[in-house]
Amino acid sequence: MADDSLASHRRDPIKSSVGNVAAQRRRQNAATVGKERRESLVRAKRLCRVGATGEGDVLVEENHMMTDEEGFLLEDQTSSAVKELKSAVVYQGKGAMQKRVNALRELRRLLSKSEFPPVEAALKAGAIPLLVQCLSFGSPDEQLLEAAWCLTNIAAGKPEETKALLPALPLLIAHLGEKSSLPVAEQCAWALGNVAGEGEELRKVLLSQGALPPLARMVLPNKGSTVRTAAWALSNLIKGPDPKAATELIKVDGVLDAILRHLRKSDEELATEVAWVVVYLSALSNFATGVLVKSDALQPLVERLATSNSLQLLIPVLRSLGNLVAGDSHTTSTVLIPGHEITDGVIKVLVKCLKSDHRVLKKEASWVLSNIAAGSIEHKQLIYSSEAVPLLLRLLSTAPFDIRKEVAYVLGNLCVAPATGEGKPDLIKENLVSLVQRGCLSGFIDLVRSADIEAARLGLQFTELVLRGMPNGDGPKLVEQEDGIDAMERYQFHENEDLRNMANGLVDKYFGEDYGVNE
Amino acid sequence: MASRPIVSGNDNRKNPKFSLPSVCVYFETPCFVGDLFELVKMAMEITQFLLAAQSADAKVRTEAETNLRQFQEQNMPVFLLSLSVELSNEGKPVESRRLAGIVLKNSLDAKDAIRKEQLVQQWMAIDVSIKSQIKDFLLKTLGSSVSEARHTSAQAIAKVASIEIPRKQWPELIGSLLNYMTQQEKPASLKQATLETLGYVCEEISHQDLVQDEVNAVLTAVVQGMNLADHGPEVRLAATKALYNALEFAQTNFENEMERNYIMKVICDTAMSKEVEIRQAAFECLVAIASAYYEVLEPYMQTLFQLTSNAVKGDEETVALQAIEFWSSICDEEIELQEFESPESGDSGPPHSFFIEKALSSLVPLLLETLLKQEEDQDQDDTIWNISMAGGTCLGLVARTVGDAIVPLVMPFVEANIVKPDWRCREASTYAFGSILEGPTVEKLSPLVQAGLEFLLNAMKDGNNHVKDTTAWTLSRIFELLHCPANDFSVISPENLKRVLGVLLEGIKDAPNVAEKVCGAIYYLVQGYEDAGPSSSLLSPYLTEIISCLIATADRTDGGDSKLRSSAYETLNEVVRCSNTAETASIIAQLLPVIMNKLSLTMEIQIVSSDDREKQGDLQASLCGVLQVIIQKLSSTDETKPIILQAADQIMLLFLKVFGCRSSTVHEEAMLAIGALAYATGSQFEKYMPEFYKYLEMGLQNFEEYQVCGITVGVVGDICRALDDKILPYCDGIMGLLLKDLASSELHRAVKPPIFSCFGDIALAIGEHFEKYVPYALPMMQGAAEICAKIETSDDEMMDYGNQLRRSIFEAYSGILQGFKTVKPEAMVPYAQHLLKFIELVSRDSQRDESVTKAAVAVMGDLADALGSNIKVMLKESAFYDEFLGECLQSDDEQLKETAGWTQGMIRRVLVL
Repeated sequence: MADDSLASHRRDPIKSSVGNVAAQRRRQNAATVGKERRESLVRAKRLCRVGATGEGDVLVEENHMMTDEEGFLLEDQTSSAVKELKSAVVYQGKGAMQKRVNALRELRRLLSKSEFPPVEAALKAGAIPLLVQCLSFGSPDEQLLEAAWCLTNIAAGKPEETKALLPALPLLIAHLGEKSSLPVAEQCAWALGNVAGEGEELRKVLLSQGALPPLARMVLPNKGSTVRTAAWALSNLIKGPDPKAATELIKVDGVLDAILRHLRKSDEELATEVAWVVVYLSALSNFATGVLVKSDALQPLVERLATSNSLQLLIPVLRSLGNLVAGDSHTTSTVLIPGHEITDGVIKVLVKCLKSDHRVLKKEASWVLSNIAAGSIEHKQLIYSSEAVPLLLRLLSTAPFDIRKEVAYVLGNLCVAPATGEGKPDLIKENLVSLVQRGCLSGFIDLVRSADIEAARLGLQFTELVLRGMPNGDGPKLVEQEDGIDAMERYQFHENEDLRNMANGLVDKYFGEDYGVNE
Repeated sequence: MASRPIVSGNDNRKNPKFSLPSVCVYFETPCFVGDLFELVKMAMEITQFLLAAQSADAKVRTEAETNLRQFQEQNMPVFLLSLSVELSNEGKPVESRRLAGIVLKNSLDAKDAIRKEQLVQQWMAIDVSIKSQIKDFLLKTLGSSVSEARHTSAQAIAKVASIEIPRKQWPELIGSLLNYMTQQEKPASLKQATLETLGYVCEEISHQDLVQDEVNAVLTAVVQGMNLADHGPEVRLAATKALYNALEFAQTNFENEMERNYIMKVICDTAMSKEVEIRQAAFECLVAIASAYYEVLEPYMQTLFQLTSNAVKGDEETVALQAIEFWSSICDEEIELQEFESPESGDSGPPHSFFIEKALSSLVPLLLETLLKQEEDQDQDDTIWNISMAGGTCLGLVARTVGDAIVPLVMPFVEANIVKPDWRCREASTYAFGSILEGPTVEKLSPLVQAGLEFLLNAMKDGNNHVKDTTAWTLSRIFELLHCPANDFSVISPENLKRVLGVLLEGIKDAPNVAEKVCGAIYYLVQGYEDAGPSSSLLSPYLTEIISCLIATADRTDGGDSKLRSSAYETLNEVVRCSNTAETASIIAQLLPVIMNKLSLTMEIQIVSSDDREKQGDLQASLCGVLQVIIQKLSSTDETKPIILQAADQIMLLFLKVFGCRSSTVHEEAMLAIGALAYATGSQFEKYMPEFYKYLEMGLQNFEEYQVCGITVGVVGDICRALDDKILPYCDGIMGLLLKDLASSELHRAVKPPIFSCFGDIALAIGEHFEKYVPYALPMMQGAAEICAKIETSDDEMMDYGNQLRRSIFEAYSGILQGFKTVKPEAMVPYAQHLLKFIELVSRDSQRDESVTKAAVAVMGDLADALGSNIKVMLKESAFYDEFLGECLQSDDEQLKETAGWTQGMIRRVLVL
C-alpha cells in the first residue's frame, strides 16, 4: 500500500557521490563471481559424465538430523486431531453431532492444507476406523461429507496408504446410491476414484463390491461437477487390464446414451473426462468398441476435434478415435467409406492435428492415419490426395523419432495394396514413385539406421519396395544415393535374425556382384 | 504394414489422485456460543494490551505483545473480530483503535509471498459470518469522527478487498462505498475516508476483478469528488489522491477519448486549485499518467506544457518538483521506447511520440533556468532534493532522450555563464555541461570536452566551493563517459594524464565535499584502464602516489561523517582492481599489511557510546572491503597467490576478531571478504571452519538484516566450492538453518532465491550425501515453484523476483541431480514429474528471462543425464520440450545454444536406452 505521503516519489539525483554506488557494485561483483564459479563447476560436471546409471546401493541413513518444524507441526496437529475425533466419536452428550463434525473438519483441513498431506500421521493415529464409523448410515450429510473428504485425501497418498481404505470401501460405495445427497455422493466417488487409480488389485476389489453400477448411474445427468467426478472415477475403475469392467459399463442402461450426449453437448472439462472413459472402453473391450462404432460415436469425436483447442480434451478424443478405427475393422470398411461426409471430416481433423504444435497430437494423428491407410485402395487414394501427404513428408524429415515412425507407417501403407494372402504385398506404383520423387526415401533410410527394431524393419520394408518397384530399375541407384547400402550393411552381423536376413537378402539381391556392371 | 493394434490407453492419463484444494469451503457455520464468550472476554482485555504494546517501557511492551499473540493463537477469527470491534468503537482511545487497525491489516497481507499466501488462506478459512461482521465494522469505521480510525480502516478494507474481490466474495463492497459518496447528507469526513478507501482498493486489485460498470462508477465517484463546486478541500484532496491510485485501474476509460478528455480536464483544473496540497496531488497524477498512458498524451501536450512550465517557474517548490518530474517521466518512457526499438522491425511496439524532441526548444531553457536556483549549502547534504537538482537531473534525461540535438541549446548557456562573477552562474554552467554528457555522440562531445578540459581543470581552483564541487563531478562524468582506453578512445592523452592527476591529487585535499567528488573522478579515471592492455601501464607510475593520497584522504578527520572515508576507500578498491597486475603486484602486496594493520587498530578503539561502536563498525566495513578486493586481485594469478596464502592465517584471525566486535555492517563486509579468502585458499580453508562456523550460523540467522543473511548464504556457496566434501560435517547445521530461513516469514524475500541456489552448491559439494536432505529441501522447492506460477505478471518488480526464484530453483535441481548422478540418481525419480511440469510451465511463459531459459534448459539436460532410463516414459509423454529446445537452439547466445545441444543429446540418449 502506498505510504501515507504520496510525495515519496523521488528519483536519484544525477549528481551523486561515488561511495554508495561503488560499494554496491563491489558487492554485486562478488555475487557475480560466485555465480560464474557455480556455473563453470556445473558445466564441468555436465561434460564429464560417468557410465550410464551407477546402480551402487548406498545405505539409507535413518537419522533425523534436523527438524522440519512445519512438517512436524502438521503431523502433531494431525495426531491430536485424530485423538479429538476419537473422543468426539465416543461422546454421546449434548451437541455430540456438532462435536464430531468439528473434529472431522479440523482433520480434513489438516489433510487438505499442504501438498504433502500428513496421511501417515493420520493413519498411525488410527483415523481409518473412526472415519468408517463416521460414514455409518443415517449420519448427517455434513459429517459424511467431511469423512469422505478425509478419506479422499488419504487415498491420494502412497500405495499402502491408499490400501488402508479397504475397510471403508463398502460404505463409500453404499453412499453413492440415489438416497445420498449429491455432494456426499460426489465426494465418495472422488475417494473411490483415487482408490481405483492405485492399481489393478484395488480395482478388482471395487468391482467385486459393486462400485461400477452406482458410479455409472452418476454420469447419466446432463451436467454438474458430480458427473465429471464420476466419469473420472469410472475411467480409473475400468482401466483393466481385464476388459470385463469396460464391457459391463457399456451395458449399463443409459450409459451409452449419456456418453454420446456428453461428447456432443457438455462443456470441455466434462467432455474430457468422458473421452477418457471412451479411451478405456475402446482400448479394452471389443464389445464396447463395436457398440460405440455402431452408435455413431465417431461423429461427436470428430466434431470435438474440429472445434476444440484444449489439449487436455484433444488427446483423449483423438486416442478414442484411433482406438475405434484400429480396434474394429468394421469402422474403416463400413463407416469411414470414402465419399461419405464423416470420412472427409475424419481426414480433415487429422490434418488439423498434424498441423498442431503438440507432439502427442501429431504422433497419434499419424497413427490413426496409418490404420486408415491400411484399408482399401480407395482409402489409400483418399489420404494420398488429401492435404495430409505434404505434412507427412515434412514430418518424416523433421519430426522427432517417435512421430517419424508413425508417419513412415502411413506413407508405407499408401504404397502397398491391401494384403491378399501370404508373400510380399503388391505395390501401388504411382504412389511409390511420386512419394519417392518427393524425397521420402532418405527418411526411411534414416529409420533403417535406427536402433528401434520396429522402425528399422519398416525402413527395410520400404527400401525393398523401392528396390523392387521403381521403374527402369532405378531403385538400387536411388537407394545407393541415399547411403542405403551402408545403412543395410550394418545389419550384416546384427543379432536380430529377421532383420539380418532381410538386409543381407536385399544387399545380395540388388547390390550383388552384377551391380553397376551395366554402367 | 497392415493395420496395427491399439495404442494402449493407459498413458497420458493425468494423475489419478486428486487432492482437494484447501480453499474449498463447503459449509458456513455460525459463530458458536463458546466463541461469543471468548469474544466478550477478548474485547474487554484487548484495549489495555493494545495500549501497553505502545508503551515506552520495553518490558510492558513485550508482555503486551505476548498477550496479543496468545489471543491470536487461541482463536484467530475471534481475535480479528475483536480488533475490528475495537477499531470501530468510538468510546475507545485513539491509540488502541489505531493499533487494532494496523494489526488487523497486517494479519491480511505481508511482503513475503509465502507468508502472504498463508495469511490469505487463514482469512479464507474463517467462517463467513465472522468475516462479514469484521467487514461491517470496518465499513462502519469510515464514518468515525476520529481521522486516524478512518484512515486505518480504509487500509484494512483494501486488504480484505485484495483477497475477496478477485474471488468474488465481497461483491457488495463497491456498492456500499459508492452509496456513502452519493448521499448528499453524509458528512465530508465520511466521503473523504470513502475516497481514500476507494483509492487503496483500486491499488490492491486489478480492474479485471470488477465489471466495467463498477470501474466506471468508481472513477465517476472519484472524479466527481474532485469537483470544486460540490466539495470542500479535504474531500477534493482525498479524491485527487484516490485518482492517483485509481489511474492504473482506468485503462478502459483512458482508451475512450471522451472519458479521457474529461478525466484530463478535471486533473488539469485541479492542478490549478487554490490549495497547494491539492495542486501537488494533481501534478502527481500527471506524473503517473506520463508513465501509464504515454501513448495517448499527444492532444494534451500543449496544455500540459503550459501547466508544468508555469509551475516550474512560479509555483511552490513541492509543486514545481512534480512538474519537473512529469518531464523526467516522459523522458523515461521515450528512453525505454528507444532502447526496445529493434532496428530491423520498425513497426512493432508502441508508438514513439517524440514529445521531448518537439518540446526541446522551450523545455531546455525552462530547465536551464532551474539550475540557477541553487541553495547555499546543498552540496553538504546528500539528502537534499530541490529545484536545481531536479532540473539538472531532468536535463540529463533529456540529453539521453534526444542525443546531439541538446548540445546547441545548452552550449550558449554554458559559455555565457561560465565566466560570470556570480558563483551561481558558474556553477549552473558547469552543472549544465556535466548533465548533458550522456546521450550525445562522442563525435559531438569530444571536441567540446577537449576544448573545455583545461578550463575545468583550472576551475578546480575556483574561489567558490560549489563551483569546485560541480567541476569535480563534471570531471568524473567526463572520465566515466568519454574515457575508454580499453577501446582506444579517451579525451585524455597519455601526455596530459600527468596534469589531470596532478589537479585531482591536489583537489582531493580540498573541502570534504569537493574531495569526495574528486574521489569519484579518480574512480572513473582508473576504471577506464581496466583490461586496457598496454594502456593500463600508463597509470602504473602514479599508483603509489594515488594510493597514498587516498589513504591520507580516508584518514582525514574533518569529514564530519564517514562519507568521505568510504568514498576514498571505495576509490582505492577500484584502483587496486583495475591496476595492471603484473606491474603493480608488489605495490599491492605492500598495501596488504598496511590495511591489515589499520584493521587491527580498530579493535583498540575505545567504545564508550553506541556512536563509537557505529564508527568502529563503519571503519571496519571499509577496511574489510579493501581486503576483499586485494585478496581477489592477488589470488587471481598463480604468481601473486602465495602472497595471500602466506598471510591467510593472519587475515582470518583479523576477520574473526572483527566478528567478535559484533557490529552487523562489519559482519557483512567481513563475510564477503571471507568468501574471497575461501576461494583463494581452497580446501585449506577447512582449518578455519571450527572457529568460523558459529559466525556462519549467526549470519544465516540474521533475519532482520537480510543483506547480511544473503551475503552469508553466498559465502556458504563459496565455501562449498572451496571445501568440496570436506564441508560435510557442517552440512546438517547449515541445511537446518537454510530451511528455517526459507520457512521464515520474517526474512526478506530477496534472500530466498540465493538459498535455493545454495542447495545446489551444497549438493554439488557433497554429492550423494545430500540424500538425507531431499525430503526437506524438495518440498520447499516444489512449493516455491508453485508460488512462481502465481506471481503477478503486471508488477515488474515481482516479475523480476519471479525470474530470480525460478532460476534459483532450477539451479538447486541442477546441483542435486548432478551431485546424485553417479551414485544415487533414483532418489530423485519421485520428483522428476513435478520438475518436468515446472520446466514446461516456464517454457510456456513468453516473458521469461534469458537466464531463466538457460537454467531451465540446463536442468532438463541434468534430469536426463542423471536419471536416464528412469524418466524415459515421462519424457515420451512430454510434448513441450522439442519446441522449447528448438527455440533455444536458434538463440543468438552461444552458451545457450551449446547447453541446449547438450540437453538434446542427453534426452536422445534416454529415449534410445
